[in-house]
Amino acid sequence: MSSLAETTERLASAVLLADPHDLAALARLHEYLAVVPQQVAEEAGLAAPLAARMEQTARTASSLVEQIILRDTQDASAALEAVCEGIAQLQQLLGGETLQDDLQKESAPSDTSSPLATAAHDVHVAEEELPKGEDLSLVQDFIGEARGHLESAEASLLKLEEQPEDQELINAVFRAFHTIKGVAGFLNFKQIGQLAHAAESILDGARKRELALTSQVLEMILQSVDMAKAMIRSIEMAVQNHTPVGIQPGLAALLTELRRGATGAAPDAAVSTTAASAPAVETRAAAAPEGNSSAPAGNDATVKVSTGRLDSLINMVGELVIAQAMVNQDLTRLVSGQPRVARNLSHLSKITRELQDLTMAMRMVPIQAVFAKMSRLVRDLARKAGKQIELKLTGGETELDRNLVEALADPLVHMIRNAADHGIELPEDRVRAGKDAMGHVELRASHQAGNIVVEIRDDGRGLNKKRILAKATQAGLIQDGQELSEQDIFRLIFHPGLSTAEKVTDVSGRGVGMDVVRKNVEALRGRIDIASSEGQGSTIAIRLPLTLAVIDGLVVKVGVERYILPITSIEQSLQPKSEQLSTLQSRGEMCMIRGRLLPVCRLHNLFKVKPTTTDACQSLLVLVQDGSRRACLMVDELLGQQQVVIKSLGEITGNLPGVSGGAILGDGTISLILDVPGLIDLMAST
Amino acid sequence: MSNSTLASATPASEISARGGKYLTFALGKEEYGLEILKVREIIGWLDITALPRTPAYVRGVVNLRGQVIVVVDLRSKFEMEATPKTDQTCIIVVEIAHAGRKLSTGIVVDRVSEVLEIPSENIEDPPTFGTSVATDFILGMGKVGDAVKILLDIDKVLDGDAVARIAKDTSGTPVSAN
Repeated sequence: MSSLAETTERLASAVLLADPHDLAALARLHEYLAVVPQQVAEEAGLAAPLAARMEQTARTASSLVEQIILRDTQDASAALEAVCEGIAQLQQLLGGETLQDDLQKESAPSDTSSPLATAAHDVHVAEEELPKGEDLSLVQDFIGEARGHLESAEASLLKLEEQPEDQELINAVFRAFHTIKGVAGFLNFKQIGQLAHAAESILDGARKRELALTSQVLEMILQSVDMAKAMIRSIEMAVQNHTPVGIQPGLAALLTELRRGATGAAPDAAVSTTAASAPAVETRAAAAPEGNSSAPAGNDATVKVSTGRLDSLINMVGELVIAQAMVNQDLTRLVSGQPRVARNLSHLSKITRELQDLTMAMRMVPIQAVFAKMSRLVRDLARKAGKQIELKLTGGETELDRNLVEALADPLVHMIRNAADHGIELPEDRVRAGKDAMGHVELRASHQAGNIVVEIRDDGRGLNKKRILAKATQAGLIQDGQELSEQDIFRLIFHPGLSTAEKVTDVSGRGVGMDVVRKNVEALRGRIDIASSEGQGSTIAIRLPLTLAVIDGLVVKVGVERYILPITSIEQSLQPKSEQLSTLQSRGEMCMIRGRLLPVCRLHNLFKVKPTTTDACQSLLVLVQDGSRRACLMVDELLGQQQVVIKSLGEITGNLPGVSGGAILGDGTISLILDVPGLIDLMAST
Repeated sequence: MSNSTLASATPASEISARGGKYLTFALGKEEYGLEILKVREIIGWLDITALPRTPAYVRGVVNLRGQVIVVVDLRSKFEMEATPKTDQTCIIVVEIAHAGRKLSTGIVVDRVSEVLEIPSENIEDPPTFGTSVATDFILGMGKVGDAVKILLDIDKVLDGDAVARIAKDTSGTPVSAN
């Protein structure tokens, strides 16, 4: 790379990072700009008019930066934007890319229909070498960042379909591509740079209101997003395998299309067939928070921290809280006569508690990120299948552990696919069945009884019990005439190799999807419930425990052991009177509470602990519920309510039935957190 | 004696690999040894929280500076008689290989003795006892003076998979309907 090229690349990345208040960055920018004229003069291969323009651009940019530094300008951000444009121009000039075009633009700035010299745009499709050494980490950062930008661009694009005039949204998409272009240029990824540039040109046209964002144009930009994602993936692969970045198939065609689109010409039919043949499709993200998806690309208020560090921080804070609690316990007795010390102690404990809350909150992210992806999925599925589907997202702000969010994405995709592909009928079938032609799919997240519940509800055709049974019998999963409950029948759809879809489409119907869903959810110690009525639709609910969340727990004592029950699953606790208790076959114990007969579970029997008393009237019953199921847990004593952090007991103990994790109590010992649904299952099976 | 040496002809290379430093500890009257590289630390006594529905040799879990680790009782694992805890009872934290990862596990022992350098020529294969005494987790018998130290292959003693199966073995409750 020649020194001039190097300088411009440095400039490009410096200006992206610069902030009107960051003097150091501005100074660096100024420094780079200052050497440009000299380097232009040294550069042999430059044509004279080109050199002159570059020099001028650099000087203008340089004086702008000076103004920003000296606070000699009204609007520093606008000035920086101008500097950014100037540097982009420098890059273009140096690349000899669109000189012709640019010169024309300058003479007639509104003329975007100027013929884009395709010759000058020669599509560059060659394998690209990865940068070496230190730059490799930059590539890795780039991969993550680019993905983030593409996600937000996609979300904005989907919103643009409804409000094509929204300048803020257009800007958001533009910024995303612009940033990717800049960094790609710096890292010498020409393919993705070209793509981003082409998409950016269209968006620039739209920004200046010279180009209408028709659905075809938007489709094209969405395709660019997909293409860019594919490219990022191939870069990622290349990094892993230490191979050059491969050529992305279809890039050349898309680039040509985009460039034609930028001139305002109608897109080629070959690329936009899906768009042309698709019926009117409406997808809507009902609860998408505004600030989230359209956040500016260069949001400088965030810092990326590796999850490993975050985990150790959380661990250490947990230890701090425990140590603090122990010190507190030891000192409270001693300081009774010293109000000052007592006050400081309580202040300290308040700070530690807040610190713990803060660190815990750091790992929690709203489920919105996954939900947003689903809008796109539903939109595409609907187009492909010729259906009309409205997706409603509720509870996107529900927070859960970051790891869970990631693990949840796959099962959700499968289930949304199922709902859109098999659940929702074709518009004409819906009308014939007396339903609205527009199908509805709802994705809802909420906290329930200490769990995260994600529900997918559709108003489609529902599950056909007869067909499931027929298929299952055919596959030999059940015997003829075997009695099965409704839940059992529905659960059959999770069996590998059973697909009730009559036709296998390219999205679903191969009978692998739901099997994967069940495995994934079970790996997260979750549960799936299905409710469906034929012709009315189905609801699939995924329940996940919060593996790394703070829960409010009730500490109970059984013998010497202390257990924690999630407050959310407790209805009440009581000391039973003997007339409330009855037995069945002198074994199964039951308790009558407010007219309901509930099974009693002796925790000490279940867990083989020696209790202080075996007389139920001497002990306490805790009435717990899991959905519609209820049971009474018999414990010796209630020790009090406490906020605890769930700690995984580690893979070595695997999945202990009835136990969802451990929590470290104030004295440093571990107490087991009981898993109420698991306990009820355990009772039923013993 | 001559019988046992004949019965187990081990290749020379394997024998030489067994020499090295061992942390020795006592269980009753027997002295055992652990490869020093497998030992992470020795902690005194911590309150152990019992895990319900696990085999008896799993004593439970402890909080080791924020990390939850499983504690296994070696006496119980070796089907030896249980004894009350003394002030010499210790938990040795070892790192065992499980599913390609290192996993910290605590083992309860009566008393920690010392670290010994045992050259490979002083290490013999364990004699065979038929089926009554399991020897597959014994690395060898180290002779130090007149005493014999039983050198343990801790990975095999705490076979990760076996411990991981605890839940499944004890639950016996197929949850899924199909």
